[in-house]
Amino acid sequence: MNTELIISMGLVGVMLSMLFMGLLIAYYGSSKTRNVGFVFLVVGAGLAYYLAEMGMDAHPTVSFMNGMLAFVGGMIGGIIGIIVFLVAIIKS
Amino acid sequence: MDMSTDNLDIMQFFVSMLIVGIGVALLATGMFTAYFGAGKSQKIGFALLFLGAIILALVIDMAFGTIDVMPDQFAKTNDDGDLIFMNALVSGVSALGGMVIGMFVILFVLMKVDTVDDLEDLDLEDLEDLDLDEELKKLEEELNQADNNDEEDNNSEEEK
Repeated sequence: MNTELIISMGLVGVMLSMLFMGLLIAYYGSSKTRNVGFVFLVVGAGLAYYLAEMGMDAHPTVSFMNGMLAFVGGMIGGIIGIIVFLVAIIKS
Repeated sequence: MDMSTDNLDIMQFFVSMLIVGIGVALLATGMFTAYFGAGKSQKIGFALLFLGAIILALVIDMAFGTIDVMPDQFAKTNDDGDLIFMNALVSGVSALGGMVIGMFVILFVLMKVDTVDDLEDLDLEDLEDLDLDEELKKLEEELNQADNNDEEDNNSEEEK
């Protein structure tokens, strides 16, 4: 159970970084770097397709969605923490 | 694909990781500010550090029920007998680990790809046409002229 969750959530993390970094590199890069950005985008899209279509059959959906909830919660919590830090520093 | 939210443990997964995220962010920013800050900023850093440590201590208590300060609300188990909070923690950490691995892969590929060709896009013809000796002579002449003007101004003030 935990192994499946770790693998699927790890793939989600790789997919997110590939998609976002691929977008940035494909937009701001030039010549060879831009081509590499497009490759990252394709890899990210492929991972997203795998997770949405095939991965869901292999991994329990509810556990996966709970994992996504936990990940999004952690990210939002981190952002709130940084906002608290910025408010405290700017207001002082 | 079942996308219904009936079976999702929003409280156990989302809120628990939200609190962990706030705690980790406060602890990390507090450590940096307390170490590198000075005066008021350093005091704020210690306050953030203290707040982050308290939040994480409460989370540990909620996860393991060791301190008995708060009700053991995150120590619930699912049908398989797994601790729900531990699953949330494992999910969040593995997703962050995946993101870090993805970033390393991107950095590795970018470093391996020869991006020197990008310099071809720059227009280097202007630089090649520059005669550095001539430019240096011009600069020296301008400086000498400026010095001479200053000396003339000083002499005229002294005569007055």
